[in-house]
Amino acid sequence: MKIWPPSEPSLQETDFNYSDTREQMNGSVGPMRVLVTGGSGLVGRAIERVVKEESGGREGETWIFLSSKDANLMSAEETRAVFQKHRPTHVIHLAAMVGGLFRNMRQNLDFWRNNVHINDNVLHTSQEFGVVKVVSCLSTCVFPDKTTYPIDETVMHNGAPHESNYGYAYAKRMIDVHNRALFQQYGLKYTAVIPTNMFGPHDNYNIEDGHVMPGLIHKTYLAKKEGKPLQVWGSGRALRQFIYSLDLARLFLWVLREYDEVEPIILSVGEEDELTVKDAVDAVAEAFGFEGEVIYDTSKSDGQIKKTANNAKLRKYLPDFKFTPFKQGDQHKRFSIYVFPILVKRRILIDVFLFFQPSRRLVIGLQPIMTPSVNEDLFI
Amino acid sequence: MKIWPPSEPSLQETDFNYSDTREQMNGSVGPMRVLVTGGSGLVGRAIERVVKEESGGREGETWIFLSSKETNLVSTEETRAAFERHRPTHVIHLAAMVGGLYRNMRQNLDFWRNNVHINDNVLHTSQEFGVVKVVSCLSTCVFPDKTTYPIDETVMHNGAPHESNYGYAYAKRMIDVHNRALFQQYGLKYTAVIPTNMFGPHDNYNIEDGHVMPGLIHKTYLAKKEGKPLQVWGSGRALRQFIYSLDLARLFLWVLREYDEVEPIILSVGEEDELTVKDAVDAVAEAFGFEGEVIYDTSKSDGQIKKTANNAKLRKYLPDFKFTPFKQGDQHKRFSIYVFPILVKRRILIDVFLFFQPSRRLVIGLQPIMTPSVNEDLFI
Repeated sequence: MKIWPPSEPSLQETDFNYSDTREQMNGSVGPMRVLVTGGSGLVGRAIERVVKEESGGREGETWIFLSSKDANLMSAEETRAVFQKHRPTHVIHLAAMVGGLFRNMRQNLDFWRNNVHINDNVLHTSQEFGVVKVVSCLSTCVFPDKTTYPIDETVMHNGAPHESNYGYAYAKRMIDVHNRALFQQYGLKYTAVIPTNMFGPHDNYNIEDGHVMPGLIHKTYLAKKEGKPLQVWGSGRALRQFIYSLDLARLFLWVLREYDEVEPIILSVGEEDELTVKDAVDAVAEAFGFEGEVIYDTSKSDGQIKKTANNAKLRKYLPDFKFTPFKQGDQHKRFSIYVFPILVKRRILIDVFLFFQPSRRLVIGLQPIMTPSVNEDLFI
Repeated sequence: MKIWPPSEPSLQETDFNYSDTREQMNGSVGPMRVLVTGGSGLVGRAIERVVKEESGGREGETWIFLSSKETNLVSTEETRAAFERHRPTHVIHLAAMVGGLYRNMRQNLDFWRNNVHINDNVLHTSQEFGVVKVVSCLSTCVFPDKTTYPIDETVMHNGAPHESNYGYAYAKRMIDVHNRALFQQYGLKYTAVIPTNMFGPHDNYNIEDGHVMPGLIHKTYLAKKEGKPLQVWGSGRALRQFIYSLDLARLFLWVLREYDEVEPIILSVGEEDELTVKDAVDAVAEAFGFEGEVIYDTSKSDGQIKKTANNAKLRKYLPDFKFTPFKQGDQHKRFSIYVFPILVKRRILIDVFLFFQPSRRLVIGLQPIMTPSVNEDLFI
């Protein structure tokens, strides 16, 4: 668990009590204490970076990043203990049981039950402790399987989700049901965001369990290292909207502070910025300088060919928000900076060290462009 | 709590252990112990009557009828304690937080959370204790608001439920999600039934909280007693399929013993037996001998004019099942027998006694047709 700013006095201070939090609800200005559940994941780490390095956090605020190691949110008692300890005024709720396609298919029951318990514990305890606002995290993958495109925020419940992950999907949808009921019964404006395909540093690179981008990055790394072809699942024609995790984090902070609706909001690049999986493969291969063969295994499913999400609501609120381009102008260099810290999770780091001289500044064939601050990321 | 048969040895017997129940799951013949949650409600009481008086229960079986007074199923600990005490092999799960239209609209959050907790506790604890089969109770009121008619078992998740009771509706739908996931992950064939409009003895007669038939009966009783017009909400044109609770109970037992699917089954009379609310009003007025004015308050909503449920699946399994006719051949007399025990819940009973001579055999203008066994019902 990490607490920022680091000079914050001990949280055991006894003079902070529930009534301070309640004052927030009446609109009075008070110290904002933000609890981020699932703080060690892709989005949580991105929010942490934005808060610490981009003045995302403001004067007087406290940010607490929780991970599953600190508290098991499936337990109502442990959740309450966390809230009692930290007394948050706001919550960014990212914690969930997540997994790739195959694990979802095998364990729909666990994905349903565990996530319902986590979500109910966090939302209910937040309400009990007078939390002013909770922003939860949904996903376009919980939307109806049969629907028209582009999808928007209003259609999420309009049909059954895909058969492969209905447990996870229903559990996530019920966050929105809970939010609406909290508003109806208590006037609380807890809300949620709906990102599309995310990628960024500190992702899960497990090829079986992880998602598109980190999966591709890991596979390309291995293909280059072992001198084998790069095997991509599907035809490469599937279209996706990719959002960089740091952009998502910046938008999360805007939702936390400014977005006043209970209805969730889609956070995504526009339809015009959709990319094919092949575009993503080409970009990753180029960043790695991978010149081997790329095989598209068409026996594997593409998933949906197109699942465009409509970001009109976001654009209505933030017409000028600039997303980080998927490939930067000085693409090779910038993407490398993104890729290398992305690459090095503990397990791959060990592989790298075994393979190369243990030099922190050498990367698999890329120019030594790492700055010391970037290197630090490798060892967090 | 009632246990049948009454000569059953003490449940504290220490030689009954978990492994006996597990043997059931392997298909071996063993003593069936059926736990009925929500045993004191409309359906629970009907099942009890069928079990005790119509040989619905079989040799060697134990039936335990639980009510909310003994066990709070919202609590995981209390649910486990009940299962440990009774060690059921089968469960009929009827317990829920229920209420009329207006309470649902005000408290969607409570209806959502409490019912999700009850259902998760019962289903999960059943799985843990090796219960062979659980039959839960859904309702056509949880179906999508916007849909084509007649509705069947396959469309339940195909759209959002009605705005007025989405908390209750989603909680009930998630029983089906949980059942499917249990089957997928563990091969358990827990299932559910979907009745249409029910009525019968021991219903909830609260005019604000209760449902169509008991509401009408209570209002007609009061109208006749006070010499006032009978005020019916809506135009009377709304069409409904009414199922008598004892028929539902007989079908419940068939589902428990014979129905082998995980997908739920609609239990209802056919479309050809749909009745208008006016038909129901006329029947109740006739049974009471009510000859006053009937006013249809068209400022009040009809709800849906028609919401026909398709009972083809039931008819496929039980083509010859005979539903109790809404009005019997010797209608006046038979309906009176139904009406009087229906009528007399504790509170109305006191009214009757205050109004008439305390004679158990006199009813509001109807012929004295009550048999002693029927009279016993008045005082349970």
